Amino acid sequence: MAQTTELTIAYFTVVFDERTGWTGGLLVLNRGGRPVEFQCTLPVRPSRAHEILFGTTLRDHLIGEVIGPMLIKKCRTPIALVCCDQPESLTLSSAAGGVPVALVSEAAEMEEGPITSDMLVGASVVKFVNATLHVPVEHTSAVEEVAGRFVDLVDAIEPFERIKEAIKEAQSQIARAS
Amino acid sequence: MFNVQIDESASWQPGDLIPADTYEITLESIEPRSLPIRVSPLRTRVTGFLFPEAVRWTPPAPPAPETSADDGSIKIAEETKPKNRRPKNRHRIKPPSDVVKLQDRLYYLLQPPLDLLVGGGQLNFPFEPFPYQLDGIAFMFPRYACVLADEMGLGKTMQAISTIRLLLCSGEIRSVLLVCPKPLVSNWIREFQVWAPEIPVAAIEGNASKREFEWKSPNVPVKIANYELLMRDKDIVLESGLHFDLVTLDEAQRIKNRNSTTSEIVRAIPRTRSWALTGTPVENSPDDLVGIFDFLSPGYLQVGMPMPQMAAAAREYILRRTKDMVLDDMPPKLYRDAELDLTPDQWATYESAESEGVIQLKELDEMLTIQHVFELVLRLKQICNFDPVTGSSSKLERLVADMEEVAASGKKAIVFSQWVNSIDQMRPALERFGATEYHGRIPHKKRERVIEKFKNDPDSHVILMSYGAGSVGLNLQFCEYVFLFDRWWNPAIEDQAINRAHRIGAAGAVTVTRMLATNTIEQRIADVLEHKREIFDTLFSDQTTPVSKTGLSREEIFGLFDLRAPGGKKVA
Repeated sequence: MAQTTELTIAYFTVVFDERTGWTGGLLVLNRGGRPVEFQCTLPVRPSRAHEILFGTTLRDHLIGEVIGPMLIKKCRTPIALVCCDQPESLTLSSAAGGVPVALVSEAAEMEEGPITSDMLVGASVVKFVNATLHVPVEHTSAVEEVAGRFVDLVDAIEPFERIKEAIKEAQSQIARAS
Repeated sequence: MFNVQIDESASWQPGDLIPADTYEITLESIEPRSLPIRVSPLRTRVTGFLFPEAVRWTPPAPPAPETSADDGSIKIAEETKPKNRRPKNRHRIKPPSDVVKLQDRLYYLLQPPLDLLVGGGQLNFPFEPFPYQLDGIAFMFPRYACVLADEMGLGKTMQAISTIRLLLCSGEIRSVLLVCPKPLVSNWIREFQVWAPEIPVAAIEGNASKREFEWKSPNVPVKIANYELLMRDKDIVLESGLHFDLVTLDEAQRIKNRNSTTSEIVRAIPRTRSWALTGTPVENSPDDLVGIFDFLSPGYLQVGMPMPQMAAAAREYILRRTKDMVLDDMPPKLYRDAELDLTPDQWATYESAESEGVIQLKELDEMLTIQHVFELVLRLKQICNFDPVTGSSSKLERLVADMEEVAASGKKAIVFSQWVNSIDQMRPALERFGATEYHGRIPHKKRERVIEKFKNDPDSHVILMSYGAGSVGLNLQFCEYVFLFDRWWNPAIEDQAINRAHRIGAAGAVTVTRMLATNTIEQRIADVLEHKREIFDTLFSDQTTPVSKTGLSREEIFGLFDLRAPGGKKVA
């Protein structure tokens, strides 16, 4: 029983802002969709040298190798699944100690445009409340099991909005303080 | 043919191309130097927030998956639940500006939107709340001090109960005291059963020892007390170490007078959060608001503050919506002013009473008080209702005529009067319409039965009410007609009365007939009130300002008879 009630999932996204830089947020929710933990980074501002040398791989590097692993490392609540809205985050699984990472199609499409199966090689599709998850095939059954236990969640896409609101709030408070 | 002899010695030879002597030039070797450009690894710092309260919000475990053959139908039903709805306007809880700590602000911001809670089945609502009601809940949830000042009939009770429920579920509060006028206690209990059936609620009542036990009972998170009882149990409430996480005042205009005993006791209740519910935060003067704020946040507003300054300071704490603002589909409210001439008997009595009365008032000269003027006004108003000698009444004649039509069409009506005596006098003529009564002389225990009978008996077409007993907290939205047999001093009270019928769920347009005896004191009062209403509407056209109506001032009351207020100027 205790284990059932403690089941949590994490939502992860990174927000880019010309002025402040790249800020990541990780929101851990319980089965009722309520916040259990929130971790966010201070904005990362890559230098001009980073931009030139990393080129088009800078985004992959920041989301999948710098911000994501750091947030997951700092997260104190055990999580059963990481939902993300940026394909670059799919590499996080190894940093998350094997916790499955799923791309929420509907949330990703808002920025990326349509997500098709040929874009994500080796991914299968799992239905999660009102969302479609793209999951590495090796994690399909694990994600299906988690999805089956989150019956009380009403909207699996909306939590990304909460992270963005919270990041905005944190940044405005930092701006006021400085 | 040419015969050419070539002189070999003078000719150009290939060997001539190679210089006889060469120069040797030595070049230094190029040695490249490496210049390292180091790109520091990108790093970031992380801030974390834990919300242990979330554990308490965890809904019950889902039922075990069913494998029977009926499974399919259940699944279909679940799929048709409005889960895929993605409304654009979320009803998010926003932290108020006085919540400063980032952790606290994020706690509110990171909660799921309220519309998801309602749609998700985590909190069952018997009816789907209106969007503005969700906004009301989102407004109250994070606030330690607030006034919900929605117009009558918009569901302040439901919004307060639902917010209390959410706060109890989240573990943010554990003990709630709700204070309301006595006639509304049973209404609150009923509403709790509808909107928060799982929350134990108890009304504080009975003898002293029973009440003391109830006050101190830790097992009931929501206690409901009436204002009068607070005075009797003052010592227990204030002195016995009780503390409430939330104290909510219904009909909070009851504490507008800051010096009243009720107000003093209410302000002294040990508590963490303070909410006030009222449809009329300002009845007579903007200072009424100061009285309410003395409960919420003592000293925040002061008597005599300039009105714009007061409105700006209070804005963060007050939420007020009117039906016009939030309900597009609310049936219309139609006013009919029935301006009637008194019967000859009434005229004769009225004229002599007024002239004699005014002479007496003038004779009092410096001894004249507002009380004397009031007495004359009341006497004249009663004559406008019924002639004291013959009992004739032009208003009753009109009411009976109108009631014929109401009853014939199977509708129901409410008649309001200031006096129970007037109700007694009109009852015989209205018996045939199945008249029931609801006023101060009807014992509290019988009142619920009266309402039930009026609601369910098809032959009961009219209920006779006094403004005092029937103007607040009752839901009579099945009535389509309201008659104001006489007018109250204060339009806000009249509106409260009218809104018994004109509220959410109203069957159709509500017709309000305001009876008024022409060329009498009633008309003079109505003219003054109408003028004041216009002034207020002009002043407070800003919808966020919680003031709209007012009563008569001291000078205006003296002015009704062209009298000079002692120590004041003459008011025409």
